[in-house]
Amino acid sequence: MNRNYLIFDIRRTLRNRRVLIFSILMPLVLFAIFGMTLPKDASEGGISAIAYVMVSMAMFGSMSAAMSSGGVIAAERDGGWNRTLRLTPLKPQAYVVNKVILSLLLAIPPLLVVFAFGMIFGHVHLNLGQWMTVALVSWLGALPFAAIGLVIGYIAKPDSVQPITGLSTMLIAAFGGLWLPVDQMPSIMKHIAQLTPAYWTGLTSRSALTQGGVDMQALLVVLGWTVVLGFIGLRRFRADTARA
Amino acid sequence: MTTTTAVSLRGVTKKYASVQAVAGVDLTIRAGEVVALLGPNGAGKSTTIEMLLGLVKPDNGTVQVYGGTPTDAIAQGQVGVMLQSGGIIEDAKVGELLDLVAGLHKNPMPVEEALERAGIADLTGRTMKALSGGQKQRVRFAMAIIPQPDLIVLDEPTTGMDVESRRDFWASMHEETARGRTVLFATHYLEEADSYADRVVLMRNGKVVADGTAAQIKASVSGRTIRATIPGADLAALASLPGVRNVETRGEVVLLQCADSDNTLRHLLENTTAHDIEVTSADLEDAVLAISAAQEESLA
Repeated sequence: MNRNYLIFDIRRTLRNRRVLIFSILMPLVLFAIFGMTLPKDASEGGISAIAYVMVSMAMFGSMSAAMSSGGVIAAERDGGWNRTLRLTPLKPQAYVVNKVILSLLLAIPPLLVVFAFGMIFGHVHLNLGQWMTVALVSWLGALPFAAIGLVIGYIAKPDSVQPITGLSTMLIAAFGGLWLPVDQMPSIMKHIAQLTPAYWTGLTSRSALTQGGVDMQALLVVLGWTVVLGFIGLRRFRADTARA
Repeated sequence: MTTTTAVSLRGVTKKYASVQAVAGVDLTIRAGEVVALLGPNGAGKSTTIEMLLGLVKPDNGTVQVYGGTPTDAIAQGQVGVMLQSGGIIEDAKVGELLDLVAGLHKNPMPVEEALERAGIADLTGRTMKALSGGQKQRVRFAMAIIPQPDLIVLDEPTTGMDVESRRDFWASMHEETARGRTVLFATHYLEEADSYADRVVLMRNGKVVADGTAAQIKASVSGRTIRATIPGADLAALASLPGVRNVETRGEVVLLQCADSDNTLRHLLENTTAHDIEVTSADLEDAVLAISAAQEESLA
């Protein structure tokens, strides 16, 4: 990891309004539409419906933020920047580690903002332990999406990376049940949802609010997704580095 | 006087598909030398540089930089590089980019100093994509000197620059060579090689065809070509004139390659019916041809 590079990337990403709008503003708007309009006493799977929507939207924000590092990678692959990097002491592995850390850092603000919004305006009441657990588990849920960012970054061209990232974010979120609970959809949708990592990250995060505690099986699936996608990302990275 | 070897290439070759980009190059650069790698496009200069930097793996032969692999030398911050194009981040600001590059090296010079030396101290807050081609080259130059390298490698650094920025660029470069840095630059401008290098390595078709001081190279290409229409010219007599190296005819047009065009011209005007006379100096392509022809002869 290289600290200067991380600072450089963060400053550059913060200038990119699209990332901020997509990862923070979108989930807030969706939360307002789908969450704030719910009756106070509605519940879903043992937790209050508004908390359910809050967690889902926070996950949606953090996943799109984590995936946005793909845009950074694609832009840097274009135009020979990685040739320049190869002419510095920076190790290629450090570059990848940096981008994963960038993804995880970018995933934090959407979680914090949506949770704060839910607490203040949605009147979601959780104890401190529950807030801490749900935040931590949700943050872990950004891992597979950091890996997807890596994969997209090494596959896409700079001009196609934004639409690819935007489209896959929305498809994964919608089909993974982050926008609407899959239990309210036809059963075929539940089967489809289980094929997306978002279903499992949502399940893990929401389980932090139930009596039973964090769903370890779902968390394991999330980590499995991370390993598989991370492996694909690393393979793409190796192929790309060999060519540069 | 140090005798450290900065760069050593031994029997290096590289083939791309059916093109033999580099066909056996031996080259030793001693510390402190300023070497121009001169040659027309496609001579193999860029590929040679890429192998020297470890960006491309040679098919055969060995590459050493300060006695180790290029990658080791780069990891030690011994090499500063300025590539021909690209290699920057367009949506970054100049100051951010240089802070980043400085942060990647072990022993960088202060960024302010690099900006100053590259003459871009006033551009720190500008975004890369808003810069002109010449300004971007200056940023690349600043990136090359930031690691405080022993060896600076530049691949056609003045491509796309206008005359003025080219002159400014070489003035900045001169300050670096005055600090005793070893410099290798590729160029296809004979004039640049002549003005800034104390050694010129001439490449053609993937091989080194000449290696000497700029003066030596220049001497071998200093001739002029006289082109004149001379009806019924006595070719044998023309060929025997002092300083005439070669005589060719195209119908009534005679081409004379001469070392002393003034004398030959005087003779033509006084003693023959020559008219429509043109005098041209040899360009690099002619020079390379002349030198490689001479080399082939000496080998035969």
